[in-house]
Amino acid sequence: MASPQAEYVKIVEEMFEKKKEFWLIGQYVQRWDALSKILGKAKFTADYAYLFKNLVYVYSVRAKYAHARIKKIDVSEAEKVPGVLKVVTYKDIPGVNDVGYVLPDQPLLAYEKVRYIGDIVALVIAENPYIAEEAAEKIHVDYEPLPVITNPLDIVSFGGLKEKEHTLIHDERGSDVIARFRILKGDVKKGFEEASVIVEGEYRTQFQEHAYLEPEVALAIPEPDGGVTVITSTQCPHEARRAISRVLGLPYTKVRVVVPPLGGGFGGKEDVANEIGAKAALAALITERPALVVHKREESIIGHSKRHPMIARYKHGAKRDGTLTAVEAEIILDTGAYASLGPFVLWRAIVHSAGPYKIPHVHTEGVAVYTNNVYAGAFRGFGNPQITFAVEQQMDKLAEELGMDPVELRLKNIIRNGDRTVHGQLLDHGVGLEEAIKKAVEAADWFSKRKRYASQTGTLRKGIGIALLWHGNSIGAEGADYSSVTLIINRDGSITFRTGLTDFGQGSTQGLLMIAAEILGVPLSYFRVEQPDTSTTPDAGPTVASRSTAMGGNATLVAAYKLRQRLNQVAADILKCSPDDIEIHAPEVYCRSDPSRKIRWIDLVEECFWRGVPLQEFGYYRAPKAVWEDETGQGEPYFTYTFGAIVAEVTVDMETGKVKVDRVVTAYDIGKVINRVGAELHAEGGTIQGIGYALMEELVHDQNGRVLNPNLYAYYIPTIMDAPGEIIPVWVEAGYRRGPFGAKGLGEPSINGIAPAIANAIANAIGARITSLPITPEKVYLTLKRLGKISL
Amino acid sequence: MVQVEEYPEITITLNVNGKDYTVNVKPYERLIDVLRYKLGFLSIKEGCGRGECGSCAIIMDGKLVPSCLVLAIQARGRKILTLEGIAPPGKLHAIQKALLDTYAMQCGFCFPGVIMASYYLLSKNKNPTEDEIKYALSGNLCRCGSYLRFVKAVKLAAEYIRKGQVYFDLKK
Repeated sequence: MASPQAEYVKIVEEMFEKKKEFWLIGQYVQRWDALSKILGKAKFTADYAYLFKNLVYVYSVRAKYAHARIKKIDVSEAEKVPGVLKVVTYKDIPGVNDVGYVLPDQPLLAYEKVRYIGDIVALVIAENPYIAEEAAEKIHVDYEPLPVITNPLDIVSFGGLKEKEHTLIHDERGSDVIARFRILKGDVKKGFEEASVIVEGEYRTQFQEHAYLEPEVALAIPEPDGGVTVITSTQCPHEARRAISRVLGLPYTKVRVVVPPLGGGFGGKEDVANEIGAKAALAALITERPALVVHKREESIIGHSKRHPMIARYKHGAKRDGTLTAVEAEIILDTGAYASLGPFVLWRAIVHSAGPYKIPHVHTEGVAVYTNNVYAGAFRGFGNPQITFAVEQQMDKLAEELGMDPVELRLKNIIRNGDRTVHGQLLDHGVGLEEAIKKAVEAADWFSKRKRYASQTGTLRKGIGIALLWHGNSIGAEGADYSSVTLIINRDGSITFRTGLTDFGQGSTQGLLMIAAEILGVPLSYFRVEQPDTSTTPDAGPTVASRSTAMGGNATLVAAYKLRQRLNQVAADILKCSPDDIEIHAPEVYCRSDPSRKIRWIDLVEECFWRGVPLQEFGYYRAPKAVWEDETGQGEPYFTYTFGAIVAEVTVDMETGKVKVDRVVTAYDIGKVINRVGAELHAEGGTIQGIGYALMEELVHDQNGRVLNPNLYAYYIPTIMDAPGEIIPVWVEAGYRRGPFGAKGLGEPSINGIAPAIANAIANAIGARITSLPITPEKVYLTLKRLGKISL
Repeated sequence: MVQVEEYPEITITLNVNGKDYTVNVKPYERLIDVLRYKLGFLSIKEGCGRGECGSCAIIMDGKLVPSCLVLAIQARGRKILTLEGIAPPGKLHAIQKALLDTYAMQCGFCFPGVIMASYYLLSKNKNPTEDEIKYALSGNLCRCGSYLRFVKAVKLAAEYIRKGQVYFDLKK
């Protein structure tokens, strides 16, 4: 944990206090990799296959049943197919047969049991992909089918969330409940007695597929020392190395993971490279040839994690004036066949389960359970979009019951500077929620529209809805929270930038470059970003949890600060002024008090070289301690929170049930805008992905655990036609003392509030509330019909 | 079951970006695989293999097609245009410039397809409306969500082209 005395903490806080003027931070700049991508020259992982000769291809043979005991796997016939080099089963794994992320519950290759339709029973390694796929049909597996459970309510029930009698999916663990967390504060019974109004509701959210455009891919190259280099599309190279090393039984030094640009991630590529990287590495070591694994879209959809579906029951109580008195909730997350990030997703859901409000009496409790569905794990928002969908509709229901405006009700209860969260955490600064609400409401013209939309008739009806959100930054009490970067000023004045944080499109690396450039006083063109590579880039922790800017930004700031100090010292010595007086505006370096005393950047760098002043720096930052009391959910779960207010406007067709999102205002308090382009793109991208979550997307399993829509022709994600007419980003910069220049994260929060804002807007338009996602035209139509609002 | 290896290879000539390439292909090989892995046109991306995502879009004999749904032998003797061929070396096409100007770049995986679809639209329509742009790009999925910037970029590119600025120097 970061001791307050740690040098890096002092540096971060000093920069926050002192630096108020910026020449680069917050500007619109072109990202470092834009040109190579626009030319089609950027090499994504699969493109490397063209550069290697003599490849072998790996095909994964997946389960025939979603739940069955494996009695026998016969690969003899398949191995005889000409062109097949080897069929690999669990027996061939040299190390540990497990790629589980949080729990060791996920075999790379199934033995004894299969637990969902994507489980892999064997790998066919062949001369070409056609042969591999053909030979797969000659693998015979004797299964003894077991009862398939696709409904989490068959595992636990409401009213205590106790585990029911059922055929265990993970018999080896003795229970199919993988995690349980709660917040217990005050006395909810008393809280509800004090309430004048109580609202209750059940909310359901669905499996959401990441649908990153680039499916999973890994290319493994055997190395002369018996090791392997794995080029793969992963958010977390060092985590992938850990998992691959375990499977292969090799030390970390013999497994090198290299990460080219990623074609999207959104959390889905946090842990899947453990599996896909291990498959490729295994094949490379067995055949001593480069091995390629490329998932087809169908494999991608059944073979990697999804957003956890949620079933939640909420009960809120408030006084007549709107003051919240109590909240009670039971939350069930379906983690599918394997835990993946499930326990942490549940934890984040519970931490945020009461919303960004002051509430004296709280009892929220949740479990994550196994089923035979596709496994669920990390997906942008990480448990928070699910509970925000519930909480923010509850707030609107409360406002209706109280006859209050939804904005007024929220303003009455939100957290402000100096308040304590429901965990008892004091937020003494950097809470910009009130400002976010006010700015969003103003930009959306809330009050006049809300009034106008109250009395509509006709087929097309407009609605406007609001939702608030908060999002704890980084991984908090989930685990070790650190980040690091290396900055090297080369002798020609150019600068090498290295970090194990990956950029899967979000632009966070650009933000890091801007922080370094701002402090050093050099143009962005001086930098070269080296791709994440476990052999060269430092372990920066996983690229997840909206932590790249907040955590990696601090590590970058620390490294740049130290280099700048040294450069200032040498320049001051040469120019005969004080180090504080040195201005770097590369290629010029001069004394602020007398700009005629100057030296060129390259000459300063050369002088440092001859004087033996090192111009390499390793920047490290460790997050402040996070505290979580398991029994009560009290403590300080995250070191800071991003806040937001979303206002969505929709048009609903009262005859067909179709919802069109017209306009979305997103107001986020991210402390300080570092990379303005990246921030805007998050506001837009999160909104559009959130529209998919709200209105269109759902991965559907049948009763046998088979996925009915495993491709993009049946799993709909928003097209350009579904994008709203306008997305208006508004920024609040409340400033967090221990963020780089005050900055906080935005990656995940940008989806949290979209679905509930849309749901509330639909309720405003049609006078009825839909509490399960996605809100499809069918659901709207049937709701209108049931309520007699439609005669067709 | 079909024994795939039994089929002999066929020699075909493909005209890609104005140049002829002679290549041996199996009858079942897809155009996308031949262009990418035999000829090295790596800008073409595979997102779904079903013609749903648009990442592999190319222009063949003046038509915008997903190269994952075309067999290589079907492309025999046809004129193919890929992202690599839309501007002379050292130049950006107006649509590429406009996508930079609007800061549309995120992961970039869908961009080759988006650029080809936009290029195709602009070759037919010098002044497309917002609806026409959306319709033209409705076959290109972008999960990062740069859609609103695509609309702006195509409009801007159309403006450039109408002013006679089809190509821009890479160095700026």
